[in-house]
Amino acid sequence: MKKIIFTFLSFIITLSTVHAQKGINFYISYSAGGRLTMHVDSAANNVYYGNKFPNQPNTSFNYLPEVNHVSVQMYFQKTENPQNYRYTILADDEPIVVNKPINKEGLKDVIKKDDEWKDEVLDSITLGVFPIKGKTITILTYDIQRPQDVYKNVFYGKPIPRPKIEIIAKRFATEKGADYSRIIRPKERIDLSFTEKDDELTIIKDRSYIDYIYSTSIKDKKSDKIIFESTSWLYGGYLNEEGNKYLPYVKIDKSIFKKSGDYEIIIQPLIRWDISLDGILDYDISPQEIEKYTARYTLAITLDQESYTKKEAFTYTFIVTLFIGLIFLIILYFTKKRNKKKLAEQEQQKNTAKLQLNSIRSQLNPHFLFNALSGIQNLMNKNEIENANKYLSTFARLTRNVLDDKELISLSQEKNLLDDYLQMEQLRFGFQYEIHHSEDLDLANIPSMLLQPFVENAVKHGISQQATAGKIRIEFIKQANDLVLTVTDNGNGFDTEKKHQGLGLQLSNSRIALLNSIYKENRFILAIQSTTDGTKIGLTLTDWL
Amino acid sequence: MMRAVLIDDEISNVENLRTLLEKHSPQVTIIATAQNVSDAVDAIEKHLPNLVFLDIQMGDKTGFDVLKLLPSRNFEVIFVTAYDQYGIQAVKFAALDYLLKPIDIEELMHAVNKAEHKLATQTQTSQLDFLLQQLKKSETNLSKIALQMQGEIRYVALSEIIRCEADNTYTHFFLSSGEKILVSKSLKEYADLLHPNGFLRTHQSHLVNPKYVKSWLREDGGILLLLSGEKIPISKPNKDNVKQALQQF
Repeated sequence: MKKIIFTFLSFIITLSTVHAQKGINFYISYSAGGRLTMHVDSAANNVYYGNKFPNQPNTSFNYLPEVNHVSVQMYFQKTENPQNYRYTILADDEPIVVNKPINKEGLKDVIKKDDEWKDEVLDSITLGVFPIKGKTITILTYDIQRPQDVYKNVFYGKPIPRPKIEIIAKRFATEKGADYSRIIRPKERIDLSFTEKDDELTIIKDRSYIDYIYSTSIKDKKSDKIIFESTSWLYGGYLNEEGNKYLPYVKIDKSIFKKSGDYEIIIQPLIRWDISLDGILDYDISPQEIEKYTARYTLAITLDQESYTKKEAFTYTFIVTLFIGLIFLIILYFTKKRNKKKLAEQEQQKNTAKLQLNSIRSQLNPHFLFNALSGIQNLMNKNEIENANKYLSTFARLTRNVLDDKELISLSQEKNLLDDYLQMEQLRFGFQYEIHHSEDLDLANIPSMLLQPFVENAVKHGISQQATAGKIRIEFIKQANDLVLTVTDNGNGFDTEKKHQGLGLQLSNSRIALLNSIYKENRFILAIQSTTDGTKIGLTLTDWL
Repeated sequence: MMRAVLIDDEISNVENLRTLLEKHSPQVTIIATAQNVSDAVDAIEKHLPNLVFLDIQMGDKTGFDVLKLLPSRNFEVIFVTAYDQYGIQAVKFAALDYLLKPIDIEELMHAVNKAEHKLATQTQTSQLDFLLQQLKKSETNLSKIALQMQGEIRYVALSEIIRCEADNTYTHFFLSSGEKILVSKSLKEYADLLHPNGFLRTHQSHLVNPKYVKSWLREDGGILLLLSGEKIPISKPNKDNVKQALQQF
């Protein structure tokens, strides 16, 4: 497929005569770099002209794989003096022309066409027509006034060799300094592990005359990103097998490998395979063809210490922090929830205990209440109005105190409460009672209605049958730090071993158990002595005072 | 003329009842009083009263103990109690009278009048026997109820009662035999009495034994269809309770 090729530079040179020489098409002129232009075979499809390399500023590389002959011209501006220039031509390593001045007679006028209509007339001279197939023609030109500035044009008619890695060397720190471990002529897959001691990787390429056209890059296969690129080669230190030429190499710092994984070493010629200035220029070359000039090696890296980019590190740190934070929050949440639950449970337990206590406390036996009222009714019906008034007030005060939700009351309040209670019971059964106490009654607070159930028991089971012969004695005694409360009656007594001791005593027992669970620092001790001559109940509040 | 024995373990209660009876119920003569169980048994056996005012809670014992100890019980009993959960349900099931302390004079007079009427119309009363039987059972397990009819006491198994319907202060009992009994007590009393046994107050005027409910009809805002085919209305405020109870039944 023939493609229409436009010149890369804006040179369309009109010639006075058309040479039908060796099949060369003199209508199309290619810039060969520097001062040189060239014409090639009519049949040549792909002319990779004027390639430049970052590491070789004064070299132009023309790759002419399909060309048999090349005709090379040198041109000068009219203001320049062609006499000042010299040129040398090498066919492969053989010099054909050396330091030859420009032959003034050979100069011809050519017109440099300009896109902006500023056409310019230049002097041009043909340096020669060279067979190029399988050869390399190198032309060196320079101005005698600046002999250091030698410009080199390479016309390359050989196949470009595919590069090869000769050695991969890993440098590691030793006690004396550094040493290398090497892999000679590695396979396509290279396994490498980096330890903390390793610091550098060296890739040594095979030697060719055109090393400079190759560039080396390393791609992270995972992210498909180029992490390393080098267009130049170092020489010295590594000799070829013959021991007469230095091999080109590149050095790669270990730090570019952030993570374990597969990387690709790519060594390829820097030829513009498909460069196009305006989108039209193109070559008839397949990617497979280009691939022929490219060396690829897979580098399987194992790092014993993964390193991260700043961004990665930040991201990981962030994620890890977030994660830890989240876990922490979750733990915190659940701990808090559990604690809350626990606290609530404890609170509830305490509340329940208090409620139970309350319910027990407020259980002034309804039987007592209504019988007491009945007693008052009797006083009224007997026209004992004053007594009826007195007992009604007593009853009201007692009920009020019992209904009062106070948890703790002073000993004197408890005494008054018991007094009221006993008065009402006295109205019913007509027994005798007395309340004794030592010293100051206000020195301590006690749970209200603490003794009432025992007193009720004394009335009910002890002396209710005996009428006026019955006696009840209540005492509040201070014993060291303990408060001892006793209720004594002269009733028939009861068997303390027996389980069914009446509702009052049962309530008292459960109440004391409850009190002991609420006031953990104090202990309530109940002691019951009962004989046929009477019963004595002792309730000790240890360390209460 | 009624000859009464007053039994209460508290002297003031005996005194009080005596005062009230003397003042408001002259047809009652108090022939004896007692303050404990054995004295009470002695007094009844000795004086053969036809009316006994009996305190239920007496120290460690009960008025029921007095009844148990008597070989024959040819008298009417009016129970007197200050506050009594124990036994009161059985007393009610036996359709016996009771007074609460402090005593309401109206109630006292009403109870005395009723006792007088019963003494005049009924030669023999088996209610006390029934009561003592009932007392052996737990309260929610009471399976029979005494229904005071005109001049007659009927003992009816709860399982026989399909439903009750209010008729002013009277209550109609509809039994599974198809019989209809009119009792001179309000439906409310029976509703309270039979509530522990699962009877449903569906309506101001209706009490239903859930055993006889066939289905709940969603017409007119809810109607209970009974196995007998009768339709019993459910009033709005009772709807939730009835529904809940039927679901549990």
